Amino acid sequence: MAFEFKLPDVGEGLHEGRLVEWLVRAGDPIAVDQPFARVETDKAIVELPSPVSGSVQTLHFKPGDVIAVGQTMITFGDGGATAAALTAPVSGKSAVDAGKSPVSEMVAAVLSPGSAPPVMAAFPGRAVATPHTRSLARKLGVDLARVTPSGKGGRITDEDVISASAPSNQASAPPQPPPAPVAIPAASARPAPPPSPGVVAGMAGVGEEIEEVPLTHLRKVIAQAMSHSKHTSAHVTHVDEADVSELVAWYKKAKQRIEADGRTKFTILPIFMKAAVTALKAHPFLNAVFDEPNGKILLKKFYHLGIAVDTPEGLMVPVVKHVDRKDMVALAGELVDLAGRARERRVTLDELRGGTFTITNVGAIGGVFATPVIHQPEVAILGMHAIKDRPAVVDGQIVIRKMMYVSLSFDHRIVDGLEAARFMTDFVELIQNPDLLMMRLL
Amino acid sequence: MPRQVIFEGRIENLSILDKDGQVDKKLEPKLTRDQLTGMYRLMVMMRKFDEKALNLQRQGRIGTYGSLRGQEAAQAGIAFNLTKTDWVVPSFREHGVMMALGLPMHLIYAYWKGDERGNIVPPDLRILPASVPVGSQLVHAAGLGMAMRLKDEPSVVVGFAGDGATSEGDFHEALNFAGVFNARTVFFIQNNQWAISVPRKRQTAAESIAQKALAYGIPGIQVDGNDVLAVYAASKAAVEHARSGKGASLIEAVTYRMGDHTTADDQKRYRDPDDIAYWLARDPIDRFRKYLVSKKMWTDDNDAALAAEMTAMVEDEVKKLESMPAPTPVEFFDHMYETLPWNLREQREAFAQGDRS
Repeated sequence: MAFEFKLPDVGEGLHEGRLVEWLVRAGDPIAVDQPFARVETDKAIVELPSPVSGSVQTLHFKPGDVIAVGQTMITFGDGGATAAALTAPVSGKSAVDAGKSPVSEMVAAVLSPGSAPPVMAAFPGRAVATPHTRSLARKLGVDLARVTPSGKGGRITDEDVISASAPSNQASAPPQPPPAPVAIPAASARPAPPPSPGVVAGMAGVGEEIEEVPLTHLRKVIAQAMSHSKHTSAHVTHVDEADVSELVAWYKKAKQRIEADGRTKFTILPIFMKAAVTALKAHPFLNAVFDEPNGKILLKKFYHLGIAVDTPEGLMVPVVKHVDRKDMVALAGELVDLAGRARERRVTLDELRGGTFTITNVGAIGGVFATPVIHQPEVAILGMHAIKDRPAVVDGQIVIRKMMYVSLSFDHRIVDGLEAARFMTDFVELIQNPDLLMMRLL
Repeated sequence: MPRQVIFEGRIENLSILDKDGQVDKKLEPKLTRDQLTGMYRLMVMMRKFDEKALNLQRQGRIGTYGSLRGQEAAQAGIAFNLTKTDWVVPSFREHGVMMALGLPMHLIYAYWKGDERGNIVPPDLRILPASVPVGSQLVHAAGLGMAMRLKDEPSVVVGFAGDGATSEGDFHEALNFAGVFNARTVFFIQNNQWAISVPRKRQTAAESIAQKALAYGIPGIQVDGNDVLAVYAASKAAVEHARSGKGASLIEAVTYRMGDHTTADDQKRYRDPDDIAYWLARDPIDRFRKYLVSKKMWTDDNDAALAAEMTAMVEDEVKKLESMPAPTPVEFFDHMYETLPWNLREQREAFAQGDRS
């Protein structure tokens, strides 16, 4: 009888480990407690000993692979007698966690809407909630049995209780911003998060002078992702300026043609996306991943652009795949669809994953330029700012032109300032000269 | 007014077996062949238990585990002086002492599996649950030692801690209290050189931990903690001192934690490999085996047979561990209070009945 060995939590609260090497090969005999692999975790490199004797049947991973806790990493054969005596691993994750992607993708995973697992089967009828949530429900007079849970494992969260106490709040939700993808404010344009309860606790005037705003789940995820990024990458922002007068004229002409059918919606963003991809192909280090543990930089030969979308609950970044293989009209259609569904939180998990570079539109509300935060594990993020009439010097004359600031935040760990400047010069040239962009489009 | 010396202190270090197993004849304790080989068996048992525990953890069959490797002589030396009516007040690394007094191994494994039943000792033993908050148990040991005096029981209390714990206030309060109130307590400090990643020299500017006894007016001694005969001899004196009502004392057993602090630690990040090699040459089990062999009490055949016997015993205990029925969630409420407070009683009831219909 085959025995499947699942990666246990060999530290305290680990989620994954990287396979360093196999100490056995398929077909090898194996003894109880004989080490069969070396795995690197956040804490140490550890040897894993076999719980059974018999032979090695299948190695499920290659050295270098990241294995999630709970995933089957090796199958032993002829180990039936010993294997049967084994109970489930003490720190084994639930079936829900098993086989999930590594932690780096978890952040994206929790953004996924509509995947709340069913109420814990062991307690049908009893609301699952923390003492704090119960106390909040008592205070607000909410019957927990009537609240629809949205938390992990069917748990009722504070937000669930609050929204249940004000059933009309759906109708009075703040008006949504216009759906045009061009008008997407970036994260930096959003208000600062509320002070943490720890800060407020003990302050006089809570309730009168200070209003407590509980964090939404999405806000927590954003907070985590932002501080993770700021603590990971060495952020530097390069700012440039582009004269897009010609591009805007060109776009307006094209827009009339394309939208003549009355159905298609054409925006300017796809043009910037194409220009960005064209520049990325010439500067591959900006479309990369820094694999620090292995001492490698991985240059990606595919171009999936994340597009920052402001939703009523916070920032989301759906990803447009294979931008280099699609025409601008198709991209425009995809953007309208993705941004719309992001605002309704109907994008799928897959549509939030796998970006290689991100564009954020910063100019809708105002400001000169902003310094966006890199979307991990990418290397750079491009901020597009408002197009405004500004004086410019052309052939020794001051003239009014359509001007735009563009900013690139990049990870100085693997991209130097010179390389970033070259990329931006290239990009600016492409959007200043639509003819050149046409010539270089693939 | 004259300037007078009012106190002068001296602290001894006791070592009987050197690292090669050569004995100091003048200090050699008078022990029978059975006692000596019994000590050796105990140390090998501890090591086999420990090796298996590390494997069980890496296989996901128990949780985080703290290894005692390298400290077998320290634990066997004190345990050999104790009886079942003595109190053991452990930190979280005294598995060796516990099994020496007869606590079944599978219960110790159960504790490290996160099963509260591992803390329920057989009724004929006086072993407190492992105390994870560093040093907190020493205050209990002082109090128990005072209780033994008040009840005039000839039972001794041994409070265990590491070098790190001697930087805690609890250590000093406990020693002071035990000194003033003549508690029947032995404070047994295993100075294994490392409090997780903090070295011994960062714990105190004093030359030894043993000398701290002087400030509290109790006897103190430093022993080679990897020399089971020295630990035995020093412990014998301390235990007799307490049992006969003369009061508390302090033993510093100088040893070395050969492994990681726990399975969630990586000692390679902060220790010098040369340091480990130095201590490997002072392994307590190797040293004692050389001594037994030189006394013609032990052979390689004996050793192979003992290893096989202990491996089989450990495997048997693992089987017992894994045949324990899984604890039910409701037992969660059962071990903390003699009588549950109302709110926990409510929760327990909700847990136990209606909600799972």
